[in-house]
Amino acid sequence: MQRIISFVFFIITTGLLSAQNVTISGYIKDSTTRETIGKAQIVVTPVKTTTSPSDTKVSPDFRASTNGYGFYSITIPQGQYTIQIIAPSYPPFAQTITAKANEEINFLLIPEVEGVGTVIIRSKRNNNVKSLDISTQSINGQTIKKIPAFLGEADVIKSIQLLPGVTTVGEGASGFNVRGGSIDQNLVLMDEAPVFNSAHLFGFFSIFNPDAVKDVELVKGGIPANYGGRLSSTLDVKSRDGNKRAFQANGGIGTIFSRLTLEGPLAKPETKKLLKPRSTPAKSSFMISGRRSYIDVLAKPFLPDNLAGSQFYFYDLTAKANYSYKRDNIFISTYIGDDVFKAAGLFGVKWGNSTVTTRWNHVFNKRLFSNFTYYYSRYRYNLEFTNRDVTFNWKSNIVNNSAKVDFNYFYNPKNTIAFGAQSTHYRFIPGEAVAKSATLNLKFGLPDRYALENAIYISDDWNANGRFSIRAGIRVSQFLYMGPGKVYLFNREPGKQGILDSMYSTEKGQIVANYINPEPRLGFKYQLNNSSSIKGGYNRMVQNLHLISNTAASVPFDVWQPTTNNIKPEIADQIALGYFKNFNGKQEFETSIEGYYKTLQNQVDYIDGASLLLNELLEADLLTGIGRAYGIEAYVKKSSGNLTGWVSYTLSRSERQVVGINDGNWYANRFDRLHNLYVVSQYKLNNKWEFAANFVFSTGTPATFYTGQYTVQGYVVPDAGSNARNNVRNPDYHRLDLSVTYTRKKTKKFESNWVISCYNVYNRRNPFSIYFATNFQNKGQNEAIRYSVIGAAIPSISYNFKF
Amino acid sequence: MKSLFNQIQRNSFFILLSGLATFLAGCEDVIQLDVVNKSPKIVVDAFVNNTLDTQTIKLTRSIGYFDSTGSEPAITQAQVAVVDQSTSFPKLFVFNHTANGKYQFLPNPVTGDTFSIGHDYALLVVIGSDTLVSFSTLNPTTTIDSLQLVDVEGNGPPINTTGKYVELMAKDRKGPGDFYWIKTFRNDSFLNNISQLNISADMGNTSRGQDGDLFIYPVRYNGVNDFSRSFKTGETVRIEIHSINAIAFAWFNLVVSENQNGGLFATPPANIFTNVVSFNPNKKTAIGGFFCMSAVTAASVTIP
Repeated sequence: MQRIISFVFFIITTGLLSAQNVTISGYIKDSTTRETIGKAQIVVTPVKTTTSPSDTKVSPDFRASTNGYGFYSITIPQGQYTIQIIAPSYPPFAQTITAKANEEINFLLIPEVEGVGTVIIRSKRNNNVKSLDISTQSINGQTIKKIPAFLGEADVIKSIQLLPGVTTVGEGASGFNVRGGSIDQNLVLMDEAPVFNSAHLFGFFSIFNPDAVKDVELVKGGIPANYGGRLSSTLDVKSRDGNKRAFQANGGIGTIFSRLTLEGPLAKPETKKLLKPRSTPAKSSFMISGRRSYIDVLAKPFLPDNLAGSQFYFYDLTAKANYSYKRDNIFISTYIGDDVFKAAGLFGVKWGNSTVTTRWNHVFNKRLFSNFTYYYSRYRYNLEFTNRDVTFNWKSNIVNNSAKVDFNYFYNPKNTIAFGAQSTHYRFIPGEAVAKSATLNLKFGLPDRYALENAIYISDDWNANGRFSIRAGIRVSQFLYMGPGKVYLFNREPGKQGILDSMYSTEKGQIVANYINPEPRLGFKYQLNNSSSIKGGYNRMVQNLHLISNTAASVPFDVWQPTTNNIKPEIADQIALGYFKNFNGKQEFETSIEGYYKTLQNQVDYIDGASLLLNELLEADLLTGIGRAYGIEAYVKKSSGNLTGWVSYTLSRSERQVVGINDGNWYANRFDRLHNLYVVSQYKLNNKWEFAANFVFSTGTPATFYTGQYTVQGYVVPDAGSNARNNVRNPDYHRLDLSVTYTRKKTKKFESNWVISCYNVYNRRNPFSIYFATNFQNKGQNEAIRYSVIGAAIPSISYNFKF
Repeated sequence: MKSLFNQIQRNSFFILLSGLATFLAGCEDVIQLDVVNKSPKIVVDAFVNNTLDTQTIKLTRSIGYFDSTGSEPAITQAQVAVVDQSTSFPKLFVFNHTANGKYQFLPNPVTGDTFSIGHDYALLVVIGSDTLVSFSTLNPTTTIDSLQLVDVEGNGPPINTTGKYVELMAKDRKGPGDFYWIKTFRNDSFLNNISQLNISADMGNTSRGQDGDLFIYPVRYNGVNDFSRSFKTGETVRIEIHSINAIAFAWFNLVVSENQNGGLFATPPANIFTNVVSFNPNKKTAIGGFFCMSAVTAASVTIP
């Protein structure tokens, strides 16, 4: 085996090296913190004696981009070149080099200086047009912090929800929906480790602390082969490495919670006496960032005695350390967060994620970069309640351990190859319950489930000529549902509850079901000119974890289930096509219009009256169907000048067809929204004052309502008629938020600002849900009740500091 | 236990979110929704038992969800009969219309016009050009040992009122596959609150192998009492155990879950099936309701 590996490496490393070609490689980093910069574009233009090509013509540049760890490699003929580096939030960088021999060059980019009338680099604006990524949106920590936020707290997921193609069911609902997919169809990664519930406090906040986030990338279509496991999107959240040059602290005090981030070098930076005196950054750094809400602390003195022991809080802690030595970088990062709500003596709930990721980057040679990852991720919840003298405790977990290897091989200037493999072991604890009293100790629950998921992938970014590039890849995933556990076999009639035929127990490691799915991925770009391009993509995605939920809004108690002998892998095929055009005049605009069409197979739905909790025969209650989602997304972004922001409009449909539901006819998904308009804007008046506004409009989500009723044996039987699934639309959702930021005079050592914001400025009562109830006085009369979680304008104030 | 868990889980969540909503000035208000009951269903309410009481089958039409219950239009021009299919000649029991869509039959033990345990019955209803049919077997029921009175101190949910409550001492019939509907009457008035609909599969939950012994506590105690109102001296408590079948059990379960399906974490409303079908397969007649034959045992106690 070792021999084979060495042989492969030999082939890879020898590659196609013609005598006059040289390879320039290295890292691109931030000059102040020495954090690496991912997805930076490198344009290498030969220095010519003739006049440079006009703006409308595609220049015969060599292009490369850094990978997620800031590493780049580019192979070019010997000669003199101008190297330009384009990265969001950094001014343009250009340097002339002479490429004579293979060389390692690390570039340092100076971050954009915030100020009035900051001139923003033209070339940077074309990133969206020139990159091969389609249906991909990046937001960095800076942008997230500028969007007016709920209760003044900047939030990653709330920012994501303002992007085209992304919707949410409403306030109080966890997660987000991408291009007509359900919330469990998003792969949310925190430093490579999947997170199973991204919500704190019912989705009002996400678990990502914006102070700890370097950047966030949402991929909705043309999903590269290195990602897999979910149908609709990948949300890749990368935490910051920590400042390698100086100790730094920043934090904030808000209405709901406070946060604090500490970061700095782990060893003292060495000071080198060079011509220009400067300190070399330390080889290692750390970052630790925490948040905790404090409603419970503030409320404590006002609580009645019987609720004195109540707890009502959430917290999270993100920490990361890294060490670099020559060609190796090691990262260890961890996230721990919980939501805890406990009314003393009555009930308590707790849910949270924890992840640990260790990564080792190794540069084998100038053109072969590798990353080895091991992660552990767990999502758990607990529910406890006391019914007279009996205490019930119920818990559910999903635990996974994964090892992964990724290679980036910068084969030649035209081809960059990514390949790798991953293996993940899952343990599902769907429900363990204990009922306890002085005389009773009753354990009941469901058997654990185990699975192993393996995947290999390879993908090539091929720049065919200056205009046309292709990203072609394939991922092959394997899912093994295995013992120990119990296996159920059902007799099924389409659309009906399965009837248990037989069941048996399995040994540890015994394979019950094995699914192998090839997942082709394709993306292309055709560059029309320097400021416009057409891009398209196709991807097939396979999902083997299913969130079992049939309520209107997702709750933390929804249970994750693996693909089994009864539940088939979900499969989605998506095509996307987009036109990207930038206007690089005095005011610069990025625009794009994208269309997509998605078909889905093996979508999980439920028989009427399905019981999802502690149901050993849950699989009998599941139905599967097909889905389709399609839409057009238009996006205009202005990122220069004092007024910045974006307008995004999405016209979309998401539908489902399941035998046994809605008489077998197509029906709108519960998160289907036809129109979605988001306006996000910031206006910088001067160095002290900054204003921001958001406006959101979305068509109401569909809901199923009863239409009739009758009485049998004195009991009222509500009735929904025929073709009833999602037969009524909730009222439209719209909302305006405003915020003002006042920045106090910055000193070299300290800077701070006050943010005053108002959420839902004009008191819109957006329904979270509309439900039925019987009139309190007149028992025979039903009423429709609109429930709004937020029924008024919510003002807030927060104070942020950095030193 | 499962549904209890489910319910408490939902409720605790509702409480949490409501608490949060209070903080966020959340609100509930009654709104007008335009829902139309497009085609009213024919509703058959046919629970017939083997006692010698007057048996009633009621025919009505469904009404709009926002109409007041009690205003259901009666179907008065129908022909209704129950047929005993287990006798050598099918025996017809004709139910005659009395008033408001009620069709009645008075059993007569002298002429042998009674319903018998173990027999298969068919329901026939003719309404204009529609013929509706349904089938049900009259299953045996169990016996009641006694009704025991217990003094309980009410100290918060679920028991709010201190006083006397009743415990039904009865055992499930041996062998799996017995289903019961247990009805409690306070001074002859049936406690028909939907939250107290008390049904049992064997001792409680047949899939857990609970068979052949005393009904589980939630069935024999929680299900037979109204904990907001204890039994007072002089009141009579009567408990009847009606035998039903697996389909009726499922039907009752759906009626309960649909009635309690509300609030924020509601599941999509579902139509409750019926076991009454139209005889004419080419004509799509929308039907609701249920036909079930039951055997009944009863016991009563007067509160001293």
